[in-house]
Amino acid sequence: VDFLQLIEQSGLGTWVRESPSVMAYPTFLFLHTLGLGLLVGTSAAMSLRVLGFGRQMSLAPLEKFMPVLWLGFLITAVSGVVIWTADASTFTFNPLFWIKLGAIALAMASVRLLRASVFGKSAVDPPTATARVLAVGLLALWTIAMTSGRLTAYIGR
Amino acid sequence: MTFVFLDNFSHWLEATALSRVIVQTQWTWPICETLHFIGLALLIGTVGLADLRMLGMARAVHFEGLHRLIRWGIAGFVICVITGTVFFIGAPFQYVHNVIFQLKLLFILLAGINALVFEFKVLPTMGNLGPGEAAPPAAKVIAASSLFLWVGVMFLGRMLPFLGEAF
Repeated sequence: VDFLQLIEQSGLGTWVRESPSVMAYPTFLFLHTLGLGLLVGTSAAMSLRVLGFGRQMSLAPLEKFMPVLWLGFLITAVSGVVIWTADASTFTFNPLFWIKLGAIALAMASVRLLRASVFGKSAVDPPTATARVLAVGLLALWTIAMTSGRLTAYIGR
Repeated sequence: MTFVFLDNFSHWLEATALSRVIVQTQWTWPICETLHFIGLALLIGTVGLADLRMLGMARAVHFEGLHRLIRWGIAGFVICVITGTVFFIGAPFQYVHNVIFQLKLLFILLAGINALVFEFKVLPTMGNLGPGEAAPPAAKVIAASSLFLWVGVMFLGRMLPFLGEAF
């Protein structure tokens, strides 16, 4: 608890929370949304192709869009940590926050498995049943992560 | 004149039973916000990748497949319009005089026109880009505008509570 208060009272935490500047809290919220759009959006597009939509394109070249997904993850993670410093104890003691982090961890693990399955050496197109299950799971996990993330603004405050 | 009409309309809207249900039920607003974000991700994910392909990224991808996926982006956009309308009905005065909200609507309008120009003017002459094929300059201008406008829409939406005093 002391550690969390230390973070909240740090220069960064205080600035993000209390600065009237648009560059503080609002900008990090925007970056979090932008990153989410890139991360979840790219995941969704790839998953949809695995599930058979947009078959006009072959699956393998979609791997070239992986940097977009990683950039989205990076932006979301960094802005997320900054937003967390502003209210570290509130977030940390909110169960929804841990549901969100758990869903993100599982989603990123699914991304790695899916990538190996559809972009790896032994990849096949149409994708295997396992790949389809992973794609559905990924879509479900992002839905859980986004829902619990959005609800932290309403529950446990 | 216009503002008087908007004010009267907003007062009427605010007094409707639907408006009160939206604001007074505990779950309506958070659920619609969650759906608004899901819609946003579908839109930026599918349209954004198609834009990036036209700008030269992942040239090995057949554009026709990405173009097909945009249907999911349109579905996401419809979700955003519906949930956005719910917010407006619930608290019209947060938005009617809000300059940021007006700018957001303008950006959406421009992004829509941009998409229609692409669909009906540029795509028919460009055809579907096969693997390795580069997009013509006109398509690149459209793609860059699309990315700028949609990211702008997200920025303005996120700024509503801070620059325009909506929540």
